[in-house]
Amino acid sequence: MVQRILIAVLLTVVASFATAQGDPLVEALRKYQAGDVAAARTLIDEAVKTDAHREDPEAWLLRGFVYKDLYKGTAEIGEGDVLRDEAVASLYTCVELDTVGTYRDNATQAYDYLARTYFNDAAKALNEMEDERALVMFSKYKESVYRLDPKADLMAREVEFHNALGTVHTKRFNQDRTAIDRFDKAIEAYKKVLELDPENYGANYNLATLYFNRGVYQIRRINADDEIPSILEIQAASREHFQEALPYMLKAHDMDPARRETLLGLEGIYYSLQDQQNSDKFRELFEELPPEEDR
Amino acid sequence: MPATRLFRILLLTPFFLFATVPQQPRDAEKDTTAILQANYLYNIAKLVEWKDTSKRSGNFVIGIIGSENLYQELIKQYGTRTIGKQPIEIRKLPRSADVESCHILFVGRSDLALLPDIYKRMTGKPTMVVTEYAGALEDGAVVNFVKVDNLLKYEMSMINAQKHGLVMGLTLKNLAHRVEE
Repeated sequence: MVQRILIAVLLTVVASFATAQGDPLVEALRKYQAGDVAAARTLIDEAVKTDAHREDPEAWLLRGFVYKDLYKGTAEIGEGDVLRDEAVASLYTCVELDTVGTYRDNATQAYDYLARTYFNDAAKALNEMEDERALVMFSKYKESVYRLDPKADLMAREVEFHNALGTVHTKRFNQDRTAIDRFDKAIEAYKKVLELDPENYGANYNLATLYFNRGVYQIRRINADDEIPSILEIQAASREHFQEALPYMLKAHDMDPARRETLLGLEGIYYSLQDQQNSDKFRELFEELPPEEDR
Repeated sequence: MPATRLFRILLLTPFFLFATVPQQPRDAEKDTTAILQANYLYNIAKLVEWKDTSKRSGNFVIGIIGSENLYQELIKQYGTRTIGKQPIEIRKLPRSADVESCHILFVGRSDLALLPDIYKRMTGKPTMVVTEYAGALEDGAVVNFVKVDNLLKYEMSMINAQKHGLVMGLTLKNLAHRVEE
């Protein structure tokens, strides 16, 4: 539909060039109409280099659509990224040059679609545990949104993304507990969420879990080769993690005092901090909760 | 699949992961106190001498009353080790004051009610009673686990050790949180 509208718009505008034999913009549009997007690409690339169309918004609009179609038609990620970047850049150029707003709706509609694909790709990359690609895609998403609308509110998206990013790093760290950089990145991601939204339950809870599990893991590694001085050292190091876990778990608990996992989390943290009284207190609170199916 | 749904799947994951932690907080894998106590018991055993010659041969027996996780941890980490030339044997004892002779007898906080009788029965016997409650040394324990500054440490009684024919090593004494002379 959008494509048909675009073609109709462009047909009107380039009508004046119709007799201009060899105008690459006209030729590009004809090829695009005929479905030969590859040939349209060559011609539109040529057109935007000419003096006649270098600052011509309709040429950039067509280029944006050509590259958008090429992006949609490719299965290769690297190539697709390049094509999409070109499409986004062309559509943005169109909006910038289109001072009277003739093409604005068409251009921004396509631009918004492509911006959303950056976000979708960030999500997909996280789901596939490809955190680096996710970061690149999310950065492009933000950049593209802010370029068109500098006042856009992306906080909810930021929170969603960084929570998911923290989860990916946590999963990686759980797979290899020696990968401390993963632990640090997970902490960084969840803290970023809390910077944006201090009341975020998931980030508070996951941060607490991360610190707690690290402390437990260090103690878990104690074996027969460890003598008493090392037990004390390991305990002291683990204590720091348990102490770091505590305020986040308390915060999560305060946000929803009837959550089972935070009651048990606090019980576990206090237990590991050798604070039997508080550990017992949260165990009792947990046991006082009605069975889950009745709640 | 919409991006938001993908994120939701991801966000739910750590809750499942965490479920392995708090759903069973006394799971032996996460019972940090049991892990620490097991290692302390092993190290303490290495640093004590039993004067009674009957205790210097055969298996080195560590009896446990009331702490399943400690028992499991000892079996797992130390069950194939030796103290000197004596293979370690870990015994899970019934909740009764009628305990058999061990080198080390640990009584957990869930079974403190048994202790008065246990102390009586162990009087003069070459068994090191180890516990985990305030005032244990005064009652007759040789070693007692204490919680200090969020750390698990131990205190010991040289007087009670002597009564049970135990020679506590200097290192053990130096590393204790408190020594009752």
